[in-house]
Amino acid sequence: MRKDNNRLDGVFFKNLVIRQIRQDYLENVTGFAWLILQPLILLAVYAFVFSTIFKSRIPESGDIGFVPYLAVAFWPWTAFSESILRASGSVIGNAALIGKVAFATEQLPLAMVTATFVMHLIGYLAVLIFLQLTGTHIHWLFLTAAVPVFLLLWVFAASITLFTSSLQVFIRDVAQILPPLITFWFFTTPILYSTAHLPALVRSIANWNPMAWFVAQLRQLLLFGEVRLDITALAVVLFIAVFAWLSLRFFRRFAGHFEDFL
Amino acid sequence: MDTLVKLQGVSKIYPRVHKPRERLKAFKALLFGREPEQGARVLHDIDLEVVRGQSLGIIGENGAGKSTLLKVLTGVIKPTRGTVETHARIAALLELGAGFQPDFSGIDNVRMQASLLGLSGKELDERLDDILEFADIGDYIDEPVKHYSSGMVVRLGFAIVTACRPELLITDEVLAVGDESFQKKCIRWIERFLKQGGTLLLVSHSMYVVQKLCQKAMWVHDGTVRQYGDVFPVTQAYLAWHEKRSAKEKELRIQAQGDGAFYNIRQLSIEGFAQGEEPVIAMGQDMLAELVIYAPDDRAPVGVFGIVRADGTPVYGVVSDNEGARPHGIGDRLYRFRFRFDAIDLLPGSYSLRGHSMDPEGVRVFDSREVAFRVAGNTKEVGYVRLAHEWLD
Repeated sequence: MRKDNNRLDGVFFKNLVIRQIRQDYLENVTGFAWLILQPLILLAVYAFVFSTIFKSRIPESGDIGFVPYLAVAFWPWTAFSESILRASGSVIGNAALIGKVAFATEQLPLAMVTATFVMHLIGYLAVLIFLQLTGTHIHWLFLTAAVPVFLLLWVFAASITLFTSSLQVFIRDVAQILPPLITFWFFTTPILYSTAHLPALVRSIANWNPMAWFVAQLRQLLLFGEVRLDITALAVVLFIAVFAWLSLRFFRRFAGHFEDFL
Repeated sequence: MDTLVKLQGVSKIYPRVHKPRERLKAFKALLFGREPEQGARVLHDIDLEVVRGQSLGIIGENGAGKSTLLKVLTGVIKPTRGTVETHARIAALLELGAGFQPDFSGIDNVRMQASLLGLSGKELDERLDDILEFADIGDYIDEPVKHYSSGMVVRLGFAIVTACRPELLITDEVLAVGDESFQKKCIRWIERFLKQGGTLLLVSHSMYVVQKLCQKAMWVHDGTVRQYGDVFPVTQAYLAWHEKRSAKEKELRIQAQGDGAFYNIRQLSIEGFAQGEEPVIAMGQDMLAELVIYAPDDRAPVGVFGIVRADGTPVYGVVSDNEGARPHGIGDRLYRFRFRFDAIDLLPGSYSLRGHSMDPEGVRVFDSREVAFRVAGNTKEVGYVRLAHEWLD
């Protein structure tokens, strides 16, 4: 009879996620409203700067305006980037728990990523409804096809976080290095612009960015109602699966030594 | 036998990680599976096997490595070297309020902790009343834990553990925070838990608690196992060691004047033991002692025998001329006293036999000497000596 006390545990994980959501969004009055407002304001700023000042045009968007084009990609990106930035500190932030209670510590970053995703998806739905009401046609049926894309995005964010949150215990500089890297990633991902804007050479490099694939997928699904299952999709799934496996191994290899460094 | 926990050759070195450079170095060592170059060696080569139904007390002074040992046992930290196997559902109380979120209410924390210990939501609902009854903190259960007293935190923590019915319970001196009645409640619970086949690993500084609850004891000293075995010999040896150490600290050791004294002591010994061997007397055995005094004026001196605890506390003393005893002259101006303690009723522990020489008039002490000895035995009595007693109807 072998019982592993450090296993992943469904009930505990669920409680961890709920606790995180309560702590971050529900304990303060503006928390929940802020969750919707903050990206909306940001979106408004970007929309104003890019469509009014720079007069950005999206070549392949047809009759779809710049704001919906941006919004559909912007929320998933926010969920992705924010979950990485916040969850990377989750091991250090829970120093009081680590080394005192026996549990699978990878649940800490995973719960933080999950909580952030859940809350931003709620915001995403609100935005999609807002877009529909303001005259953009959203392909609601294709939302079901977007679910696996979101799951994959969650796995991707979680994998990065497993790596960064454990590394940050040993090398504190990760906390400083990460935000500019994420900003860099944001601007190299076609969220504010279309890859059609890029020169051919740059475009071929930019296509290696998995986030470009996610952004393109969600736009295809929700704005154009098209499912694209090609070799790129397979490559992205495979890449993320391998990456997830590696980062979980990395995390577990060092989890027993966190306390030495905290 | 059903082994629940097995440690083999476990060592733990905490690397030095104060400066960024040291952190990087330590991380590099970890990355390549090397041992850290600089660090605190907390555990060294520990073997331990805990079988089902056993109750083991881990004792040792502060900083000996007891808590680190428990952390390795529960899998909270990985040892630097060695292997740890566990085959049981473990519930551990390693630190006061560990895992509690101070901003959340008691009941929220109960849910969290219970799920951490592997209780499903349904199981928790069934046992929630028992938990609240055991913790007995009343309406505080809905208050944030940060408003709790440390006693209340322990009550809640232990109550959750009782509800999750572990196979192996590990506690690290947290119960001492609770008040008298709660401690008793916990001890009663643990006794019942053991009777029903539970297994216990307990760290405590209270030898009373260790002797009451544990069959075996392990004395950890400087990260190694100093002594392991049945609870009584190990705890007694540990207490004796402590007494000796505090005696040294207080510098209570008597000053022997030695050869310069006028009536100087040539020999003080306990009969039946070789030179250099620590005399061990079984409780209730006779003890024979001999004191030889050199008297330059060849007049029979007065002798004193006494017994002190290892920390210097006097237990008993008697002077020869008060009882009309005289020494035997054995030639060369030497005088010998022989003395017997009948059926010595000292409680187990470390003691010293003291001998003093006095002038023939018994006015002042000229010389002193002492011989350490140990009294062995199994008893749950407390104090220094057994007094004659009887339980009446």
